[in-house]
Amino acid sequence: MERSFTKEVALLRKGNGEMFEGEGILAITKGLLQAGVSYVTGYQGAPVSHLMDVLSDAKPLLDELGVHFTPAANEAGAASMLAASINYPMRGAAVWKSTVGTNVASDALSNLASAGVIGGAVIVVGEDYGEGASIIQERAHAFAMKSSIWLMDPRPEHERFVDLIAEAFDLSEASHAPVMMEFRIRACHVHGRFRTKDNVKPAVGKNHMLSEPDFDYARICLPPATYTQEKDKIDNRFPAAIDFIRRRKLNEFFTGAIDEIGIICQGGLYNTVARALAELGLADAFGTAQVPILCLNVTYPLVSDEIVRFCAGKRAVLMVEEGNPDYLEQAVNALLRKADVNTTIVGKGVLPMAGEYTADVMLTGVGRFLEGAVPRGVDLVAIGRRLAQLEGWKSEAQRLIGAPVPKRPPGFCTGCPERPVFSAIKLVERELGKVHVAADIGCHTFSTLPPFNIGNSVLGYGLGLSSAAGVAPAFSTRVISIMGDGGFWHNGLSTGVSGAAFNGQDGVLVIMNNGYSSATGQQYLPSTTAGGARSPTATIEQALKNMGVKWVRPLRSYGVGHMVRTLREALTATGAGLRVIIADGECQLANQRRIRPLIRKALQSGRRVVRTRFGVDDATCTGDHSCIRLSGCPSLTVKPNPDPLRLDPVAHVNNDCVGCGLCGEVADAAALCPSFYRADIVQNPNAWDRWLARVRGSAIAWLQRRSDAAHAAA
Amino acid sequence: MSERPVTVLIAALGGEGGGVLTDWIVDAAMRADLPVQATSIPGVAQRTGATTYYVEIFPATNAALGGRRPLFALYPSPGGIDLMLASEALEAGRALENGFVTPDRTTLAAATHRIYAVVEKAAMADGRFDTSHIIAAARALAKQPILFDLTRGAKTREMSLNAVMLGVAAACGALPIAREHFVAAIREAGIAVEANLAAFDLGLTLGEKGVPPELLSVDDRAPRPLEAATQALIGNIRAEFPPEAATIVEEGVRRLADYQDLAYARLYFDRVRRVASFDGELAACVARNLALWMSYEDVIRVADLKTRPERFAKMRTEIRAREGEPVTVTEFLKPGIDEVSAILPRRLGAALEAWGERRGLATKLHLTMRLKSSNINGFARLWLLARLRRWRPMSHRFAVEQKAIEAWLDAIARTAPRSPELAREIAECARLLKGYSDTHRRGRDNYRRIFAGAVLPALERGEGGAERIRRLRQAALADPDGFALDRALAAQPRETAKAAE
Repeated sequence: MERSFTKEVALLRKGNGEMFEGEGILAITKGLLQAGVSYVTGYQGAPVSHLMDVLSDAKPLLDELGVHFTPAANEAGAASMLAASINYPMRGAAVWKSTVGTNVASDALSNLASAGVIGGAVIVVGEDYGEGASIIQERAHAFAMKSSIWLMDPRPEHERFVDLIAEAFDLSEASHAPVMMEFRIRACHVHGRFRTKDNVKPAVGKNHMLSEPDFDYARICLPPATYTQEKDKIDNRFPAAIDFIRRRKLNEFFTGAIDEIGIICQGGLYNTVARALAELGLADAFGTAQVPILCLNVTYPLVSDEIVRFCAGKRAVLMVEEGNPDYLEQAVNALLRKADVNTTIVGKGVLPMAGEYTADVMLTGVGRFLEGAVPRGVDLVAIGRRLAQLEGWKSEAQRLIGAPVPKRPPGFCTGCPERPVFSAIKLVERELGKVHVAADIGCHTFSTLPPFNIGNSVLGYGLGLSSAAGVAPAFSTRVISIMGDGGFWHNGLSTGVSGAAFNGQDGVLVIMNNGYSSATGQQYLPSTTAGGARSPTATIEQALKNMGVKWVRPLRSYGVGHMVRTLREALTATGAGLRVIIADGECQLANQRRIRPLIRKALQSGRRVVRTRFGVDDATCTGDHSCIRLSGCPSLTVKPNPDPLRLDPVAHVNNDCVGCGLCGEVADAAALCPSFYRADIVQNPNAWDRWLARVRGSAIAWLQRRSDAAHAAA
Repeated sequence: MSERPVTVLIAALGGEGGGVLTDWIVDAAMRADLPVQATSIPGVAQRTGATTYYVEIFPATNAALGGRRPLFALYPSPGGIDLMLASEALEAGRALENGFVTPDRTTLAAATHRIYAVVEKAAMADGRFDTSHIIAAARALAKQPILFDLTRGAKTREMSLNAVMLGVAAACGALPIAREHFVAAIREAGIAVEANLAAFDLGLTLGEKGVPPELLSVDDRAPRPLEAATQALIGNIRAEFPPEAATIVEEGVRRLADYQDLAYARLYFDRVRRVASFDGELAACVARNLALWMSYEDVIRVADLKTRPERFAKMRTEIRAREGEPVTVTEFLKPGIDEVSAILPRRLGAALEAWGERRGLATKLHLTMRLKSSNINGFARLWLLARLRRWRPMSHRFAVEQKAIEAWLDAIARTAPRSPELAREIAECARLLKGYSDTHRRGRDNYRRIFAGAVLPALERGEGGAERIRRLRQAALADPDGFALDRALAAQPRETAKAAE
């Protein structure tokens, strides 16, 4: 990691009664330490990267406490680490982005859940769902149910988060099952405060060693133990969990005057529900609502008598459950039926089956529920009027603006080393025709967006090469697969490369070697060098060779011309086999973060520094924007044409340019246009620089005067 | 209902400092002992995408509330925003579109400069969104609109937008926080404190006294007004031409005198006179496209423009080179057969071009030249190239272009009296001709296909065809590979057959 988290680490040190002020994910991290966690692992990814990053920087604190922290190679590795809690009274936590991380982890998770645990095992998942999510839209809920892992969905308030983390460990230990806690994107990023408690040193850990290994066949996932384990889940663990949830009052009942109706919600959505009620005049600013609410901080398993108690005597209850399938709504309906309670359950009828429950969606949903339920004492006319007014303003805005505002999807950063590779692919496609590109997960997935529109499928992290295996034989031309170095070490080497090499898969693999797991925040990888600051534990090239790949070409990613030639060769060379191009170029964010302070210091001390950037001559640019279609760099933009005769805007390089050189490379490789120039600005010039500039300047000025004179004469 | 959280929604682009702005507001609220919550959805948006930050502040101090804790929401709700801060025009539009700006409560502070989205930039002609409608919607729907464009002032352009925004937030009256807390928040953060405080002060002025005329937003798409001609090169243009066209003709005359010589400017004037009596809009359109076409880009023109003193002066400003800092300039030139044959004498150039086409080398054979125009050697080479101007009228491309120009003008002049609409469409086709190398080749081929496939048939028929030409032109600009144009031409087989002739 290039960033430092000293300030955040200080927050983790706070003791009894002190005030913590910070992000939700950091509060969760603090919660783990307060709960006496013995080991923490995980794999980075939004919205939970921060937990990993901060703990990476917190070694002294963790050493003092005797907590072991290690980032795993992937989520399967992280989930596997929870095995420590199967045999020993060690509290362990694993963290990742879900649903994708849960997918990767699922093999280990199933085995963990089957064996059961002695020490509390808590899985913190960042539920990357809705606006700002970067992955497929699925819920973690199904995973929990099918493996008998208990699922918590805490009400979003720091104090509640921290309390429930302690409860989660207790629940896990009381029921011998792992517990999954899901935190949504906004909850992870929320800034709030709570009073801290002292961190608790783990009973077993680095400072309190185990004396001997435990052996118990009942904990091995092999028949016949597996049959016993399945029965144990039903007969013992499930009832123990129900009992614990009820006893510790993990779910919250909020009473309200209008008690002929009620709302049951996932804990994470509680604030949105309460705010919607407030907007409709049915709750105050402190969340006290006139409608009773059952807030489910544990969404699996459901405690049937709690549900029955809440619903009994109510005409209608709204089930607020984000995403699909509507497991909770079905479960609530089923258990009310069994208890012979006739309350009408409204859920996906008024709320959408798919998509995030934003304030807007919630307000409409709650409004429609009330309109349908017609509770006494609620002014439905006023509610209808308010909803219509809001809708009216929105459509008025849309009418005035006239057309949908263009989307602004994420893209490659200024100077990104991955962009040139896609410029090169575009240029190769001009010669050889369109090529099927099996894309992968990482910053490079942005190639699928304008202006590149490259990438025909995305199957998962590190799966670019594997996902080409089926389609490749069906094309007469070779297929290109993409993989990042992050994906390579996460899964790509074992799943993709080893298989492809073993099976003699014919195709081209481009590995983006930008030196970090960049999309998740520039975490280190085995091959990270951090600009020379770190010696890698393994190199991609060596790993490929060891896997039996013969054709490997590492090259500088910014050299578009060279990249075009190498791609052409890889795509057209005779003889089957895997051809791998390693596109080397350090993540520009990391690079800039490192070199900027150095440059600033050099400038201040008066040392000579050459600054490079690119520019466009607006007099020669004709406004066709081919360059933009081949680059998409944020610093390459357009501006109004200064030429009064021309209407189309001209290309323009703004001052964010970091001088990566792609503009010039593309202009050259694509034989585009002579408008680009590169400027090397000598800051703090020395005497020689100044003398040279003077001589050149006067010679050039002399020539310029002559051409002026010639033109005037003509 | 008076007791409700005050809400702030910040719309920004990744990397614009929206997070820092949020931190400042949160810090200021905490200094005022007000309960506050902030959240965001950075995710992948930190990579240049659009993102939002959301803050709720409760307008009663923690002390006054005792143990009571207000309930904060994680989502901004339409109709529930007190202060909407947008860092760019399109993002303000997005906020409006989503219902976050409502007349009952929202103060909308928006920076209205443009940072173009990829789809706007990548269009083959002008893909810029018309933000004047967004401004109109903002004025109509915000309770208090504070719209400003910092990029219009040389000094304000350099200021950090998030600190200006903080000043606006502090002064606009929407937040229950005293000014000194914001100042303290900036000082506490400890980064670029003085610069940020200066920007904050500007924000205070904007929020208090309103936006001064020099920072009001302008429509980036509005054509720039032409400067009055300093000298009338030929006769009295204003008397002869309709007012819409006169300034363009003046500019055209000036351009062509600069491009070639006075005689060439005179040729332009004589040509453009043929349409002087027509409808003003048509005359303007022809005058514009004719001037651009006649000043087509060849290597002589490029070398000429790249060796001018004003070019270097402009460049130094653009790249922010300070006084006394030497600059090395590298040009990326890659002339191919087309560029070389263009400036060769007629027969020779034509022969070279034909050879290149026959051998399929026209798009393949290029000479990479990385030329340092700031060195004496490099500059002198460009300078010599620029001096070939005198021989341009004898060149191959000159002859080709003049012939095509005459055909185009004839077509316009013939159709204008009976169908100004058709004439206008024909005139606009010249807009396809631009760029260099492959881009130019593509534009020229598209133009030729449309001219043969739609313009000539329309001339023969003597009626209709305007709509078809417009459609074809739009198709030509829809994608760089010409798929849309292929489809559009194929849509009417009868005419395609003629195009193939």
